[in-house]
Amino acid sequence: MKNKKLLALLVTAALSPMSSAFAGNIDDLKQEIAKMRADYEQRIQQLEQRLSTAEADTNAVAEQVAMAPALKTTNSNSPNAFNPAISMVLNGTFSQYQNNADDYALDGFALQGEGELGQEGFSLGESELTVSSNIDQLFYGQATLAVHEHEGETELEIEEAFIETLGLDNGLTVRAGRYFAPIGYLNERHAHAWNFADAPLIYRGLFGNQLSTDGVKLSYVLPTDFLFEVGTSVGSGDSYPGSGEHSGIGDWLVYAKTGGDLGIESSWQASLSHWESSPKDRSYSGGHSHDGEEEAGSAMFNGDTDITNLSLVYKWAPNGNFRQQNLTLISEFMYLNDDGSLNHGDELASYDGKQYGGYLEGIYQFNPQWRSGLRYDWLGSDHDASDNELLADAGLSHHGYHPQRTSAMVEYLPSEFSRIRAQLNNDKSYSDEDWQFILQYTVSLGAHGAHQY
Amino acid sequence: MKTFIFSLLFLVSSSAWAQVSVFACEPEWASLTKELGGDNVSVFSATNGLQDPHYIQARPSLIAKARKTDLLVCTGAELEQGWLPLLQRKAGNSAIQIGAEGYFMATDYVRLAEQPITLDRSQGHIHAAGNPHIQTSPVMILTVAKALSDRIKQRDPANAESYEKRWQDFSQRWKAAMAEWQLKAASLKSIPIVVQHKNWFYLVHWLGLNQVAELEAKPGVPPTVKELQQVVGKLEQTPAKMVLVAAYQSPRASDWLVDKTGIKKVVLPFTVGGNDKSDNLFSLFDNTITLLLDGAK
Repeated sequence: MKNKKLLALLVTAALSPMSSAFAGNIDDLKQEIAKMRADYEQRIQQLEQRLSTAEADTNAVAEQVAMAPALKTTNSNSPNAFNPAISMVLNGTFSQYQNNADDYALDGFALQGEGELGQEGFSLGESELTVSSNIDQLFYGQATLAVHEHEGETELEIEEAFIETLGLDNGLTVRAGRYFAPIGYLNERHAHAWNFADAPLIYRGLFGNQLSTDGVKLSYVLPTDFLFEVGTSVGSGDSYPGSGEHSGIGDWLVYAKTGGDLGIESSWQASLSHWESSPKDRSYSGGHSHDGEEEAGSAMFNGDTDITNLSLVYKWAPNGNFRQQNLTLISEFMYLNDDGSLNHGDELASYDGKQYGGYLEGIYQFNPQWRSGLRYDWLGSDHDASDNELLADAGLSHHGYHPQRTSAMVEYLPSEFSRIRAQLNNDKSYSDEDWQFILQYTVSLGAHGAHQY
Repeated sequence: MKTFIFSLLFLVSSSAWAQVSVFACEPEWASLTKELGGDNVSVFSATNGLQDPHYIQARPSLIAKARKTDLLVCTGAELEQGWLPLLQRKAGNSAIQIGAEGYFMATDYVRLAEQPITLDRSQGHIHAAGNPHIQTSPVMILTVAKALSDRIKQRDPANAESYEKRWQDFSQRWKAAMAEWQLKAASLKSIPIVVQHKNWFYLVHWLGLNQVAELEAKPGVPPTVKELQQVVGKLEQTPAKMVLVAAYQSPRASDWLVDKTGIKKVVLPFTVGGNDKSDNLFSLFDNTITLLLDGAK
């Protein structure tokens, strides 16, 4: 019993300082926790305050932002709200040639349509009016009317007027109407988007500057990572070097186009196209006669014609940023094959003609407002006729000569809507070497359509 | 076991197949789409942070990409006017035509500032709809993000739940980051600055900077020496702390000003990828504010 009491006493004695010490610690802890809690609460409050000010700021702007749809109202009753995009390109040229422009000839080629040299001195050039718009959920439409003076008369020409499907899916697009034939690179671009004031000699020689088609075009973009596009076009076959009325398909064309990027800074495109037609009575507009002798009627071609084109484009810009500096290299090569007959009045001769040539141009934009470029043209021809007189009548004699031309240009671009260009050509289209100087402005009014690659 | 592997392979391949293919015109929208779409989207950016988005070539590679795109995410307000319409026309893809479900223009969802009073080309490169450079303000990003998230859900309803989660998560993180940025940038309020081009409006407005002058008297037209001299005159009256230039812009005009006045030049990334440190939207604003604070020192 005593022992038990003693034990109890001992235990109590042993525990008592401990328990008092324990009690003291709890108080401390409680205080500390309370302090911590107060501290945290204060911090949380501060954070909440910060957040709410931030949110208030955000909300203020967000509210402002949220009002947007309400403010964006369209005047739905106005009949002109759906006007198409309208743009007009104006052009003015001052040209000076060392030789007489009337003597101009492209040896081995017959000049057609607009293929002659531009008017010397001051001239207005071509003014183009383009109207374009989405027609409905399925079609896009575009028309370009060109107005120009020809031998003192104002001529209005429908350069392009086509409709095109809007996203037929699976990479398919159908176009119908009048359009620039998808042959080569420059042919599908309007003259105002070219890098020089005149067409490459091969375009001048084969197409009379540009080949257009009235017909239907189908294109298909393959689902590849780089571009691979194939297409075909069928048309009336009446525009030079095609000719005559055809009850069905007058000309047809197939093309393949591929292209991609080389890293961030460079991109490229290559295309191969082939065109065929069977011209009826393709007339050589009286033939070009150096002797000045009068022609009775004009020589005509009947037979089959095909043209093959290879085009290459390379573009480069530092960091791929085209705004500051960029370089463009373009080269095209074309080969025409005529197989048929030439006739002039009562005379008839079998005819096998080859015309070929190409150009290489390089354009460097060294700052946003200045560009300069060089171009070199080279052509050749080889004609075989059973009667050489008929070749002369058609303006196809002098084959075997290689016309050449070197051009240099510099452009000042006050903005993307205007351009002033000076160009100098050293022209050896025929035996008399010619120096040609062209000063030109080109401006674009109104909607400014996107430019193709 | 074999069936398990096959079904796993099938799952992997089918999920890769089902990815929404997104064509972003600018890197900020590519970055935002990745935040909101995660692994369910594959994103291609047509431009990088060092390219002027007004002047992009409608390159063959872009046509090829646009052909396979389910969703086009661009700025709009005529910023891509010089190249995007061509891609739409050439791609043969109905999903990305105007008004289609796969056609998303960020500026359609916010109210644009600086809508010109007179629409005249003599005033330089102006945008009729207003200033389109909205990615310089996180408020605008957040507003666009909500609309974009909804659009991605619409394009890929099967994964709507995952997109909703990602949107919730993004908006939380973005709001928290915004609070941080605003706090960090509080000292920048009312600081006088000069800008090269009118592309900083939303940043200036968000941070309350005081824009004293612009180097380009007419937007998009390189300034003449006479116009720059007028800026120097203005700065003599009201001195500014720094001149802001976007990474993709020509340094010439701002270098000239630095030379004449000794003003500090700050090259901001402008968008994701504008410099090494800005590899996503969060680091873009982190870096922008750090650079501004350095400039204001």
